[in-house]
Amino acid sequence: MRYEIRVDGELTETLAKAFPELDHVVVSGHTILFGRVLDEAHLYGLLARCQSLGLRVLEMRQAPQ
Amino acid sequence: MGVPDETGADPRGPADPCGDPFLRTRFAIPALPATYLRRERLLGHLDEAPRRPLTVVGGAAGAGKTLLAADWAAAHPGRVAWLTAQMADKGRGTFWAYLLQALRLAGVTLSDGVGLPAEAGRVDEALLTRLAAELSARETPVTAVIDEYDRVTDPEIADQLEFVLRHADPGVRLVLVTRTEPLLPLHRYRAAGAVTEIRNDELAFTPAEAAELLELHGLRLPADEVTALLARTRGWAAGLRLCALAAQGAADPRTYLKEFEADRTTIGDFLLAEVLKRQRAETQDLLLRVSVLDRFCPALADALTGRADAELILTGLHRENAFVEDLGHSWFRLHPLFRDILRAHLRARHPGLETELHRRAAAWLRHSGPLGETLEHAAAAGDWAAAADALVGDLALGELLTGPRAETLADLFSAMGPGPGTPATDLVRAALELSRGGLDRALPPLERAARALAAEPAGDAAAARFGCALLRTLAARLTGSSAQAETAARQAVRLRREIPGRLLDRHPEPAALLDTHLGAARLWAGRYAEARAALTAAADTGRAAPTAQALAHLALLDHLEGHPGRAERRALAALSEAEHPGPAVPPGAGLATLVLAAVATDRDELERAEALLAAPADALGDPVTEAQRAIVTGRVRLARGDTEGALEAADRMVLAQETSPWAEAHTALVAAGAHLAEGRPELAVKLLTEPPGGEPLCLVGAARAELAAGRPANAAELLDRIPAHHGLGPLVTVGAALARAQWHGAEGDPAGQRGLVARALREARPERLRRPFREAGPWLPPLLAALPLRALAEGWLLPGTPRPDGTGRVDEPPPMVEELSGRERDVLVRLAEMMSTEEIAADLYVSVNTVKTHLKSAYRKLSVNRRHDAVRRARELGLL
Repeated sequence: MRYEIRVDGELTETLAKAFPELDHVVVSGHTILFGRVLDEAHLYGLLARCQSLGLRVLEMRQAPQ
Repeated sequence: MGVPDETGADPRGPADPCGDPFLRTRFAIPALPATYLRRERLLGHLDEAPRRPLTVVGGAAGAGKTLLAADWAAAHPGRVAWLTAQMADKGRGTFWAYLLQALRLAGVTLSDGVGLPAEAGRVDEALLTRLAAELSARETPVTAVIDEYDRVTDPEIADQLEFVLRHADPGVRLVLVTRTEPLLPLHRYRAAGAVTEIRNDELAFTPAEAAELLELHGLRLPADEVTALLARTRGWAAGLRLCALAAQGAADPRTYLKEFEADRTTIGDFLLAEVLKRQRAETQDLLLRVSVLDRFCPALADALTGRADAELILTGLHRENAFVEDLGHSWFRLHPLFRDILRAHLRARHPGLETELHRRAAAWLRHSGPLGETLEHAAAAGDWAAAADALVGDLALGELLTGPRAETLADLFSAMGPGPGTPATDLVRAALELSRGGLDRALPPLERAARALAAEPAGDAAAARFGCALLRTLAARLTGSSAQAETAARQAVRLRREIPGRLLDRHPEPAALLDTHLGAARLWAGRYAEARAALTAAADTGRAAPTAQALAHLALLDHLEGHPGRAERRALAALSEAEHPGPAVPPGAGLATLVLAAVATDRDELERAEALLAAPADALGDPVTEAQRAIVTGRVRLARGDTEGALEAADRMVLAQETSPWAEAHTALVAAGAHLAEGRPELAVKLLTEPPGGEPLCLVGAARAELAAGRPANAAELLDRIPAHHGLGPLVTVGAALARAQWHGAEGDPAGQRGLVARALREARPERLRRPFREAGPWLPPLLAALPLRALAEGWLLPGTPRPDGTGRVDEPPPMVEELSGRERDVLVRLAEMMSTEEIAADLYVSVNTVKTHLKSAYRKLSVNRRHDAVRRARELGLL
């Protein structure tokens, strides 16, 4: 499954390293993290990681293959 | 080993179920920094806490939840218990052990009767009931604050908390501080007005509060600027705090804050980088390095930096309210939010350093910290030699094989490659292989370790030598060599004297495991009395893991001596000791199940025996269990009339160095039974008389075969050889009486025959031993059909005479294998009251899914598939 997670604010390169398995792109005050998510456990793990880094998740969606 | 003030743990004090001392920092109310802003409106909400069962403080990381709760708790000494739930992933038992300790530390007097969870993975429901009862008797309620409740991800813990909360009402109040919605039926509490909730929106700073907070940091801002800052941070406490810290260091704070408002980087990241770069180089270095640790004291931080300035820096950072929280007893931790961001910075700035830091942490903790943390850091560093050394040195090698931590430890060490070949890593490899049943693969590393240890000077590495001897005892048991087991066990006992007594006191398991392995090896060799002595000693230690195995072997001993009822009780006890969450079958459970299958066969309950035989086996693969499996399988097939299958089962070779007299005798009995059924009595006689062993059951079988071959004189001679000693149980005496009865019949003495059959019936009845009668031969049924013998057989061996009310015939259902848990009984009671699943869920304050889980497990234990049957069965068994 591919997912996109949109978080508030522009992620610095340093912090983006906390998501080594995802790519990211910065767009006008937001950052979109995207890439392959292994399973549901991984997905919730990513959300928890966002939370523990103080990131505000604005949107999360499954991307077309 | 440890200095209490440095480890935060008191080695002489009470311990958690894994035997590690409690970490005192888990019970410490975090100290408030000087720049903490007290917010009365929120404290006011918390003051409601003693009046309502539940309070939830829920908000994002850095929202100020913990400090709020800490401020409130510190103002109510003696009435508040504090627990930081970081250990929640270490199992239910660990969680409750910590919570009980937190209550005791808060001055709650709990009697010893409440007890302590004995295992990390589970907690007795009776314990929770007793706890609730004692708490409910309190005059003033105690409030338990559980910080980091989001770490509790096990729904069962949530259920258990709920249970205690409800039954202890009004003696206990709960305050949960959490990042995520707690797994409790909050809607029900809301509907009842029984919950106070302080959520993110309320935790957010108001303009007035923000202005005050900034002022505490020496910043005075006009109202519109404060509002702008609030908009950027959304009232997020950590954001405001970092803003203030960053602005403090800027040449012109107000311009700086304007720039911050315009910046679009994620707040935490931006601010943290800003605040970090304003610290001195040493401080930055220390902060980045300690980000690999959950908690640290100055000495541990110094070990990571290689300097000696941690104490000064940490006190300073805490005073400035920057990053560091004071846990008391000189222990600190990074604010969880900053810790994660700092770790990202550490990786970016010093790639590769993380491993080295874990290694240093492990080395420091090895001498002063709990084993679990040492192992985690050593494993994170990939320093397997250090990890194995720590495990072996702490006498915890046996825990890889059994016990509450077995799976966690096996997981941890499964990442270890073929790499370092120290004696300790070889011992760990051998233990891992043994736990998976890989005896062949275990022996090379075990021998390598033994050789390397032998080369070291005596006295050194006593713990490693002892661990090696323990594993060799186990390996000898698994190869079926009692002689080697005795040698290795004697060596282990000798080595144990060289180990410091304090270490031994903390770890009673290795001694119990040693006795278990030795007992099992002796049992294989047929030395019953010595086996019983060792196994009883192991069972008496009360540590669950060795106890389950020892009880299972004692159950087999009972069965071999002809006492099926006693064997059944012990096997059930073994199973309840072995009860363990997780997919793996714990050692001992497999053998206990086989003993139950044997008892079911004695009672001619063949379906039950087959079901028990189909249960999964444990991984250890020891010869006792394998032989017992072959024997019971053969007996069941024989009873089903499948003689070929029985012969095939009896033919299965159990690989072992020494032969086992009882395994041979019982295998021969199965084969002889098959030949007898096929009309080959000569072969049967040959099989049963060839080994010179005087196993009483073999003599009985041989006598029956001689009778079938038409040689009653030989039969009589064989029967006279059965010793008349007292230990023989009904399984032997009933068989012998029936064989004698058959002989009397052949000699034309019907009165003597009837007398012996009557004796057999009377002895068999309490144990419901039906099998010996079913296989006695065609001469028996006509005798049983006539009075007076019919009266003795009716109701258990033969169908009873139907009474007028139709209750005469009782099909005996299989007995319960496992006891129902308290919760399952709660659900059943309500089921009997015709409540629906939803109603039960509402009544018990649990989710519908939880009720379904309890129901399923109750169905399984009662061997039924429907609610109606479950209620009926539960009534029959007197459970309702």
